[in-house]
Amino acid sequence: MKTTDSAGKRGTGGLDRRAFLKAGGATALATIMAPAFAGRAQAAYSGTLDMLAWDFQPDTIKTLVAEWTAKGNPAVNVAVIPNLGYSPALQTRLRGGDAIDLYYNFAYNSQKFIDQGWAAKLNGLPGVDDMVADMFESARAAHVNAAGDIISAPYFSAVHMMHYNDRMLKEAGIAAAPQTLKEVYDASKILKDKKIVESPYVAYWVKEFCEEYLHTYLLNEGITAFDTAGKPVFADDAKTEGVFEWWQTMYQEGLAPKSVLSDDPGKLSNQMAQGDAAFFVLHHYFLSSIRSLGGKESANVMQGPIGGANHTFQIGEVLQLGEIGDEERRNAAWDLMKFYGWKDSAGKFTVFNQWAKAAGLAAPYPGFFKDPDVIAAFPDYYDLPLISKTFETGSKVVPARTLPWYPDFQAKVGDVVHALLLGQATPKKTVEDLTAAANSAQKGRSL
Amino acid sequence: MFGLKLTAPAGILLAALLLVPTVLTVLYSVHDVPANGRSLGPFVGLENYTIVLSSNVFWRSAWVTSLFSIGFVIFSTLIGLAMAILLNQRFVGRGLARAMLIIPWATPWLVIGILWKWYADGSVGGLNAILLKLGIISDYHDFLSDPNSALALTVVAAVWRQASFAGILLLAGLQTLPDDLNEAASLDGANLWQRFTNITIPWLRPALITVTVLNIIYAFLQFDVIFAMTQGGPGDATQVLSILIYRQLFGVTQIGLGSALAVILGVIALVGGLLTVKILYRAERTHG
Repeated sequence: MKTTDSAGKRGTGGLDRRAFLKAGGATALATIMAPAFAGRAQAAYSGTLDMLAWDFQPDTIKTLVAEWTAKGNPAVNVAVIPNLGYSPALQTRLRGGDAIDLYYNFAYNSQKFIDQGWAAKLNGLPGVDDMVADMFESARAAHVNAAGDIISAPYFSAVHMMHYNDRMLKEAGIAAAPQTLKEVYDASKILKDKKIVESPYVAYWVKEFCEEYLHTYLLNEGITAFDTAGKPVFADDAKTEGVFEWWQTMYQEGLAPKSVLSDDPGKLSNQMAQGDAAFFVLHHYFLSSIRSLGGKESANVMQGPIGGANHTFQIGEVLQLGEIGDEERRNAAWDLMKFYGWKDSAGKFTVFNQWAKAAGLAAPYPGFFKDPDVIAAFPDYYDLPLISKTFETGSKVVPARTLPWYPDFQAKVGDVVHALLLGQATPKKTVEDLTAAANSAQKGRSL
Repeated sequence: MFGLKLTAPAGILLAALLLVPTVLTVLYSVHDVPANGRSLGPFVGLENYTIVLSSNVFWRSAWVTSLFSIGFVIFSTLIGLAMAILLNQRFVGRGLARAMLIIPWATPWLVIGILWKWYADGSVGGLNAILLKLGIISDYHDFLSDPNSALALTVVAAVWRQASFAGILLLAGLQTLPDDLNEAASLDGANLWQRFTNITIPWLRPALITVTVLNIIYAFLQFDVIFAMTQGGPGDATQVLSILIYRQLFGVTQIGLGSALAVILGVIALVGGLLTVKILYRAERTHG
């Protein structure tokens, strides 16, 4: 492990072998624990840090941060604002000159925030290389840009999975959970025709979220939408049109409810819990929501991979460090960031463990899935080895998502995909429109 | 000089709240302003306006804004007028009914949007239950996910609030109408419709002009209700110009483009308001 400070220097003259070994052991221990101690040693900052988060379990956020402060670290003023509209609110605050030491951010905004001087690169901060090395290889591109700069730490991570109602499938005579697009379509038709469920398939198809589904389904077909330079290459693959055809068919044939264009995920989870839907593709942790709702079908909802190839989209929102001039303050904020986005001073995934307990959220670290506390934190209904394997080899983060022009593209995808679903555009036109949206976003100013 | 001193605080306040933001917006609209706002960025002349005016997204949004505005202005004015006439009659509970007229108007636009989003929900909303009971629909329908009905429903929600505001203003106007005018007309044989068109409407014309101009301005600047109900969707079915501006300024932080859009919307609202005043005042002068 790379460390910053060693524990003070001592002369070696006059030491016997035993004393030397003792000193060596202490040094080794100090080296192992250095990231932890380093934080406290550097946290000489005596003021208050400012942290901004969105409103997912605000009391938990405050408890976790208080836990960090209780270890002799500075007090943290945690401000919480709603998730909906978080990005505009955050940008407005930063534009207005608000100095926030640590904040949640959407991954697709991270490079833009660096470029605008709103967030600091993490390069060279004590322990940051170890944090990156600790991650799944598949996750690193979400936090390290093409130039090798480290731009963020994980707030949480997840993989898109298929949630399905096992009882309904059995009732319909379907032996195994469908995986490919055709299998899901066929199974949905059977469920609808047999009147087991009116609209079997639900997806979080609101405008803001269409971009995530774009990657989920394209990856599922083996297509990475953008190359590393950000060129939209999805148009080069005929399977892209096939994915859009499938989306349009599912919506137009009533296999998905018309309301999915405006439904929030809470409502979709409830539809699964109550038996008003049989399939739901979204982040793995939505299984917790569905089960905890305690609906008549909650216990019958299972989780499996999307598509036969088990290639899916790995997402995760991030923590970014503000541009802080004061070195002591920056070090203190970085220490908080390590605690919140990696491990605590004892090398435990304290924060991630809490999120796993609270909502089934994951972290992009292999060690997270091997930690006995984490394993105990996940309810039995999760197939944790499957999720871990999906992180390791079955998912991608799509590095282009952190490019500075990406938020502009992200904002345009919803209109294009809704036009497709509503039958106002053909799959071919959708491919063209999305390509045009990506190109115009890269060019700069465009509506 | 003394008068100038007395009005100076108000003048300074107005300049700070209106003039400075207006000048800044115009200034931003001719620059490629960086998202962080630390500088104006390079001067680009009218390039932002060219980009906006040559974009299909803008024209589609302008069309949606026009449809919304027409529906909003007509219905909120007419329903407001009907409510004012009704509440000007003598009936038991009139005081309570007049007090209730204030409730929608006292509710913030955003809350109205949230309320109507739930009310129109395709699975559990009350609107579906009522329409089903009345036999107007045969099955629950998700109005906000349907591009054919989403805009209409946002108009209904916005009108629900604004009509009460129009009603309050028009009721105040009606209360100044002397009873003997209507009584004299009745004695001369004028029927209800003739009294309405020849006495009530001319009497209310100044109040109607005020209400209509305010409704036009509210219509063009409407944001909260639509954003809360649909966020501009499905697709771009309800993406009025104010939502497009929000997206540009605060979502993707294209400050220059967003400012150019804001200037264009400001000009449209100003021209719309001025034209209405001119047309309605000319009609007033013609009718004497």
